[in-house]
Amino acid sequence: MSEKVIEIINLVKKFGNFVAVDNISLTIYSGEIFGLLGPNGSGKTTTLLTIATVYKPTSGDVRVYGYSVVSDGDKVRKIVGIAFQEPKALGIDKPYDLLLWHAKVVGYSGDEARKVVKDVMEDLGLWEHRNKYFYQLSGGTRKKVEIAKVLIQKPKVAIFDEPTAQVDVVSKHYLWDKIKELKEEGSTIIIATNDMFEAERMCERIAIVYKGKVKAIGTIKELKDFVPLGDTIELELASYADQHVLDILSRFGKVQGLGNKVLIYVNRGEEVAIDIIDTLRRSGVKIVRIMVKEPSLDDVFFYITGAKLKEEIS
Amino acid sequence: MIYMSSLLKDLRYILLLVQWDLTKIVRRVIFVAMRSTWFVIQVVFFGPVIAQMVNARGIGLDVSSYYNFYLLGIYTSILFTITASRAYDIAEEFEEGIIEYQLSLPMNRKILALGRAIGSGIASTLFTLPMFLTVIILTREFDLLAIAISIVSALIFSIAISGFVLTTTLSIKSSDATDIIMGVLDAILVRLSTIFYPAVILKNIAPYYYAAIINPLSHLADLLRIFYSFEEFKEIVVINPEAMASYILGLFIGFTVLAMYVIEKKIEGGGWR
Repeated sequence: MSEKVIEIINLVKKFGNFVAVDNISLTIYSGEIFGLLGPNGSGKTTTLLTIATVYKPTSGDVRVYGYSVVSDGDKVRKIVGIAFQEPKALGIDKPYDLLLWHAKVVGYSGDEARKVVKDVMEDLGLWEHRNKYFYQLSGGTRKKVEIAKVLIQKPKVAIFDEPTAQVDVVSKHYLWDKIKELKEEGSTIIIATNDMFEAERMCERIAIVYKGKVKAIGTIKELKDFVPLGDTIELELASYADQHVLDILSRFGKVQGLGNKVLIYVNRGEEVAIDIIDTLRRSGVKIVRIMVKEPSLDDVFFYITGAKLKEEIS
Repeated sequence: MIYMSSLLKDLRYILLLVQWDLTKIVRRVIFVAMRSTWFVIQVVFFGPVIAQMVNARGIGLDVSSYYNFYLLGIYTSILFTITASRAYDIAEEFEEGIIEYQLSLPMNRKILALGRAIGSGIASTLFTLPMFLTVIILTREFDLLAIAISIVSALIFSIAISGFVLTTTLSIKSSDATDIIMGVLDAILVRLSTIFYPAVILKNIAPYYYAAIINPLSHLADLLRIFYSFEEFKEIVVINPEAMASYILGLFIGFTVLAMYVIEKKIEGGGWR
């Protein structure tokens, strides 16, 4: 087992009577990309800002490499770097000046700071915007400036709060690659997102957060296995799927016949598919094609949170 | 990456925070231009007129001495107003998320508070420097030592007020409440002080006089007056020079320590109204 980097222990954060984070506990290990997945207002950002010591826990604690955010904030801040959801700058700031100042604060000397800032800005396509005022930049460019802070800092724990919101598709993929590079260089990464594709693409483990609580934690595969009968095996037979065939298949899961096609809803689809092939072969039923479809992360999210679309919108 | 002792690191953070405030000076140019215009009107038009109207001889001054008295009062008043206006900058920084960003930076919160208070104090003092030079020219007092000590006193005073402003604004977390508190403080402190009226006159109105004695603006204004015209003003200032200097120093230590304590122990992101 890898080293524990972050331990969130019974974390509660209230703002007045509103409970933003409701008794969350989880552990994040060294070198992983961990995702907090949930809708807006679910408590992801509050959790991240508590890890970064920007918020103080109402109760509970967060330990980063063993240091408590409550009593060892200075030590935690030397380990953690955060790219905020909303880029933090004044309208009169210029990206180069802002990043140069940040580079010096996180420990680079003058010459080193100028070099690393130039390198990162060129890498992210920000160099041409270096002397523009922040208010003149597009939302996506502002977001890149925010992410550049963490790429410059290269912290042991790098936090990205919705890193690709407002970013165009090409840049989005490039930023994902940069975040993965940061991981390869030794950082542990935490990403908060409400983008299922981003979560699936980037994260090795995910915590599904909903209404301030962690509803489930696991790898993508583990989470998908949470959904009962979530995998769909689609069979195409050489002949019409009569009642006899449907009866044979019904012991594997819920069955739906559609002419010479059969849909079987099962758990652990890959394993069951082998049994199905074997069973049908022994029964003399010829299979033309077989396909296993996993549930999407959306399906997992809706199943685990029990949320209804209507409820989400309201 | 550079590696240095903890003390040097903290000093470097303070310098970077001072740099932060100085590079943001540009956003206050219009406000300072307005206050500068107000200052010019005060010293060119109202000052001479008031000096003629006041019976300065009744308190042992002549007309030109009262004009000098008035100039240093006006300077103190504008230094306070410009420093207190930092509250609006801090409010804007909170709304734009800058405070949350700075709270996440790898530095001790006490150092963050100290650096921001010093940076804010230096920025405010720099803004008023042209006005201070105008006062020197108008009073025709060119004693370099007095000028240097006055600027240092003004800076210490400004850092102290910045510490107070930082603590107050970050604690109340409300733009409206900040507006009200700073407006009321400015109105009360400028009036209940020796900015315009010597302590010797205020003695006739006890509550006014006691308010002026504990008012930091009285102490800075009278300290500056002493630096420039010791003999002339020594009988009419609020208290002896050593006590005034101690008061300003105490204010500096008290408010910066308060800011350091509050920002380390109490302040967190979010909750701005």
